[in-house]
Amino acid sequence: MTPHLQVTKTIGASPEEVFPYLVQPDLLLRWIGTWVDIDPRPGGIFAVDMGETQVRGSYIAVEPPHRVVFTWGIPGNQQMPAGSSTVEIVLRPENEGTVVELTHRDLPVERHSDHEKGWTNLLGGLASVLQD
Amino acid sequence: MLRLVRGQELAAGQIGTHFPITQQAVSQHLQVLHRAGLVAERREGTRRLYLLRPDALGPVRSLLDDLWPDALDRLKRIVEEDKRNR
Repeated sequence: MTPHLQVTKTIGASPEEVFPYLVQPDLLLRWIGTWVDIDPRPGGIFAVDMGETQVRGSYIAVEPPHRVVFTWGIPGNQQMPAGSSTVEIVLRPENEGTVVELTHRDLPVERHSDHEKGWTNLLGGLASVLQD
Repeated sequence: MLRLVRGQELAAGQIGTHFPITQQAVSQHLQVLHRAGLVAERREGTRRLYLLRPDALGPVRSLLDDLWPDALDRLKRIVEEDKRNR
């Protein structure tokens, strides 16, 4: 089974108000990345640079104002090549606001076990300090 | 510590101010991270500067683990600010 990651956040605005921030380049750029080039329709490009890291994928689903799905990867990265994982963002109205549920699926399996073992041994009991 | 040097190069002394341990212990931690290939080390005069290696094998996942919570925090702040200012 490939790991996935889920993050939930409640925002004090309606899904109609939040949705443009997921699909308009100028609004998307304000909360993610340092450069974006997107074509938010199924099959359209999703390209975001985060500093030196280039994230590349394409849109799978664009369903205003409730759901966006796109693929996600880093060209040349063996663990996570372009388009190798999938991000789904669901906007659900709750009271006066919106619950944003972001699920990132098909992430690379955690580090190679040998590497992980080495890393754990090296750090020993210091891990908690290092992660702070 | 890895988070601190993600995307910005910091001197060992600057990194040390974030942790309740001695500067010597901080330097030892950084040496361990450097030997493990997770951070790049560069000397500038008497200072040693550290930067998370974006190509390091392990941190892809840890970057992602931080990326989305941080990003959604920003999204929330921006959407709510814009709404107030409308």
